[in-house]
Amino acid sequence: MKSISRRVCLGVAVLLCLAGAQAARAQNIEVKTHTLKNGMKILVQEDSSIPNVALYVFYRIGARNERPGTTGISHFFEHMMFNGAKKYGPGEFDRVMEGSGGANNAYTSKDVTVYQNWFPRSTLELIFDLEADRIRDLSFDPKVIESERGVVASERRSSVDNSNFGILYEQLWATAFTAHPYQWPVVGWMVDIQNWKMDDLKRHFQMGYSPSNATMVVSGDVKFPEIVALAQKYIEPIPSHDPPPQVTTREPEQMGERRVVVKKFAQLPILMIGYHVPKTAYADYYALQMLQTILFSGQSSRMYQRIVDKDQLALSISGGSSFAFDPTLFMISSQPKAGVDPAAVEKAVYEELDKMKKDGPNDEELQKAKNILLANFFRQMKTISGKSNAIGSYEVFFGDYRKLFTAADDYSKVNKEDVRRVAQEYFTEKNRTVATLVPDSPPEKK
Amino acid sequence: MKPMRHAVTVLALAVWLVLPAAAQEAALKLPPYKKLRLKNGLTLLLMEHREVPLVSFSLSLKAGSVADPAGKEGLASVTAGLIRKGTKTRTADQFSAELDFIGGLFFAGAAADSSSASAEFMKKDTAKGLDLLSDMLLNPTFPPDEVAKLLKQRLDGIRAAKDQAQAVIGTYYNAYLYGNHPYGRPGGGDEKSLAAITREDVVQFHQTWYTPGNTILAVVGDFSTAEMEKLLTDKFGGWPAKASPALNVPDPAPVQGKRLLLVDKPDSTQTYYRIGNIGITRTNPDRVWIDVVNTLFGGRFTSMLSTELRIKSGLTYGAGSFFDERRVRGPFAVASYTQNATTEKILDMTLDVLKRLHEKGFSEEELKSAKAYIKGQFPPQIETCDQLARLIAELEFFGLDEREITTLYAKIDGLTVADARRIIQQYFPLENLVFVLIGKASEVEPVVKKYAPKLDTKSISQPGF
Repeated sequence: MKSISRRVCLGVAVLLCLAGAQAARAQNIEVKTHTLKNGMKILVQEDSSIPNVALYVFYRIGARNERPGTTGISHFFEHMMFNGAKKYGPGEFDRVMEGSGGANNAYTSKDVTVYQNWFPRSTLELIFDLEADRIRDLSFDPKVIESERGVVASERRSSVDNSNFGILYEQLWATAFTAHPYQWPVVGWMVDIQNWKMDDLKRHFQMGYSPSNATMVVSGDVKFPEIVALAQKYIEPIPSHDPPPQVTTREPEQMGERRVVVKKFAQLPILMIGYHVPKTAYADYYALQMLQTILFSGQSSRMYQRIVDKDQLALSISGGSSFAFDPTLFMISSQPKAGVDPAAVEKAVYEELDKMKKDGPNDEELQKAKNILLANFFRQMKTISGKSNAIGSYEVFFGDYRKLFTAADDYSKVNKEDVRRVAQEYFTEKNRTVATLVPDSPPEKK
Repeated sequence: MKPMRHAVTVLALAVWLVLPAAAQEAALKLPPYKKLRLKNGLTLLLMEHREVPLVSFSLSLKAGSVADPAGKEGLASVTAGLIRKGTKTRTADQFSAELDFIGGLFFAGAAADSSSASAEFMKKDTAKGLDLLSDMLLNPTFPPDEVAKLLKQRLDGIRAAKDQAQAVIGTYYNAYLYGNHPYGRPGGGDEKSLAAITREDVVQFHQTWYTPGNTILAVVGDFSTAEMEKLLTDKFGGWPAKASPALNVPDPAPVQGKRLLLVDKPDSTQTYYRIGNIGITRTNPDRVWIDVVNTLFGGRFTSMLSTELRIKSGLTYGAGSFFDERRVRGPFAVASYTQNATTEKILDMTLDVLKRLHEKGFSEEELKSAKAYIKGQFPPQIETCDQLARLIAELEFFGLDEREITTLYAKIDGLTVADARRIIQQYFPLENLVFVLIGKASEVEPVVKKYAPKLDTKSISQPGF
C-alpha cells in the first residue's frame, strides 16, 4: 500500500541514530556548502546514481518554541505550508509538484520543522519556485484553516487518542517536564487544536520562517553551481528577519522519581520509563549512544536477552533518545505480556541498569556497538533522502554536518568506563519518570 | 476535482526551456544480473551494485500462509520466525550474538504466497554473514523451548495488535472478503490456531517447503559476481535436492451484492474502514494501467479520495486505495478513518467518489499528471541494494524478468482516456462491495446499517478475525 497519510509529527519514533566512519570519505560523500546573503545555508551532496533529487529544508522551530494555549501550532503551521501562497494558490503546491513527477512530505518535532521534496532532476527549478513562493508569500485562507484543523484533529485521534503507546508517551513527557516546553505534545492538546486563531499562525510564520532560520540540503543528481544559482535566483531575494526568541527555560533538576498511571480499555499493559539526559550537542552523546546500542540493539542486546528472551516478561523492549536542542529524555518502552505485572518488567530493567552501572560493558559489547553503528551509518547513506536527512540533522543539531562523517572516530574514543559512567550518572532513581498503562474494563455502553 | 491545467502546462514549458538537456524519460534500466540454477534446483540471482559497502540478500520460498493447514493458521509465519532460533551448531543466543556483532540485519516472515528472508551485511563480513544465513536455512533444529516461547509471544502479539484498529483491520477485511478461500485466513494466526500449532507441525512445514527447488536467492551489493557465485555454491551446493508439492490456490470469486462487518472496539473515538472487493494478480497484463488509474483515484496526495475526504472536508488525516497484487487475485480496498460522529458522512462521501470515478473517468491532462508522477517517483524504488534484491527475487517468483522495468515507461505512456475508462469499469467495483469497519458499535451501528442488506457484528475481544 502506498503511503498516503502525510505530514507527520514525530512522536514515539526515535529520530536518528547514526554513526560515521573514515570509510565514508572513501565513499566520496562530499558535501559542498554556500551561505546566501539572507543567511540561509545550502548544503549540496552530488550523487547521480539515480536521476532524482532529495531537497530538504530544515527550520529551527518546533514545539519547544510554543506557549500554553497554542500548543501544536508548529505542526499545524507545517500543514498550512502546503495550503497556498501567492503564485501557487490553495492545493496548487501539491497538484503542480505531483503533476510534474515530484512528491513531498514534512515532519515536525519538538525542535525542528522539516520539509521534504523528492523529484526528478528535470523539475529542479520548479521546486525552487514552489519553495520560494511559500516561504515569501504564504497565505492564510480562513476556510482552508478550518478544514486543516479537522485533518490535524484526526491525526491526533490516530496517533494519540486511539493509540495506547501514543497516550502513554504523551503522559510521560507531560510528567517528566514541569517547566520546559518539551512537556507538551508536538501535535498539541486537543483543546488547543480546536482553538488556534489566524493570528497565532501569522505570528508563528513571523517568528520561525526567516530564511536565516533555515538550512537547505540537496542530495542527488545535481551540480553544486546550479543549486547555488537557483538559490540565488529564488531564495536570496527573500529578506531575513529576527530569529525566534531564545528558549531560555531550563528544566530544573529532578529531585525524585515521578510516576503516572493511565487506566483505559486495553488487552495488554505498557510500561515507559524516561531519564533526563543532556542535549544532543553535548560530549556524552557518543557514550550514551553506545550504551543505548549495547542495551537495546538486536536480539543479543542485554535488555532483549533478559526481558523478552530469558524471563519472558515482555513482547518487546526498546530505548533511546531523539536529537534535541535542549536536555531531553532517554526513553525505555516495553509491551509486557498478558498476565505480567508491568512492575516485574520495571524491576528487571533496573537490575540490568544496575549491572551496567556496577561493571560496565565488556570488550566484545563495546566492539559490537561500534560495528552496529557503522553498519547503520552505511544504511543511512544508501539513499539520497537518507543522506539529505542525515546531513541536515547533523548540521542543525551538532552545528556542523561534518560530525556525521567523523562519528566513527568519536565512537572509537568511547571506552568501557565512559559507558559505565553515563549509566551511573543519568540512570538513577531520582532522575526517572515511570508511566504505566493499566488495562481497564470497557467504557460503559450507551 | 479541479486540476490546475494552466499552471502545469506553463511550468512544464519553463522547465524545459531552462534545462533542455535533462532528458528525464531516458528509458529505465536495471543493472545487469546473472541468473543461475544449482544442481539441487536452487535459483540464484547476482547483481553487482557498489554505492555503499553493503551486501543484501533476499530469499523467497514458494510457500506462504496459503500452505498453512486448516486450523493451524500462522504456521508459515511461525516457522520463518523460528529458523534463527537454533541450528545443529548454534544456539539461538549464539546466532544472535554473531549476527549483531557484525552489525548484520536479518528478517524472516511469511506473506500469503511466499515465505521470505532478507539479510544485509557489511562487505567485509560477507563470508561470515553467508555462513549464518545458510546455517539457519539448512540446519534449523527448532528447539522445543524456543518453539513454545515464540508461540506464546505470537499469541500475545495478536492481543497487542487488537489494541490498535489499524494494525488488524487488514486481517479482518481479508477474512470477511475471502471467506473460506486461503487468502481469507490470518497469516499471523489467531488466538485459537496458534494454540494448536506444535513443534512437529513446524518441523513438517520446514521439511516440506524449505527445499532448494522451491527457493530463489537474490544477492545485490558490493561484490564480484564470480566470487559470490563460488561462495554461494560452496554454502548451498550441499543442500539436498528435493521437490516441494505443487500449491494450487483457486481463483477467488468476487463478492456479489453488498455486505458489511462491524467490529466493536468500545474505546474507539474513530471509525476505521475498508471498502472494496477482489482485485488483481501480480501478473495482470493491465497492472501498469491500473496503477496509473489508481494513482488518480486514491494513490497519491492529490488523488480524488484524498482531495475529497481530507483536503476539502478535513474529515480525516489519510484516505487512499490500493491493490494488493498476488499470485491469484488479491484484495482491492479503499481505506480511511474519521471520528465517530462523522462516520456516515465519510462513508457517503467515499461511495460518492467511487460513483464519480465511474461516471466521469479521467481526462487527458489528469492521465498526464499521474504518468509523470509514477515515472518521477519510480527511480527511488530501485535505488538501494536491498530494494533491488527484493525486486529481482519478486520478478523471478512471478515468472517475470527485467522487461517489467525496461518497458515500464512505455507502458505508462500507452494509456489513453478510453483505456482508463475500460480499466475503471473492469477493475474498480461499484455495486458489489464489502465493508469492514472497526469502531464503537454503540455509536455507529445505527448509521452504518443502511450500507448493506445484512449487517454482521463482532467484538474485537472475540478470538479470531
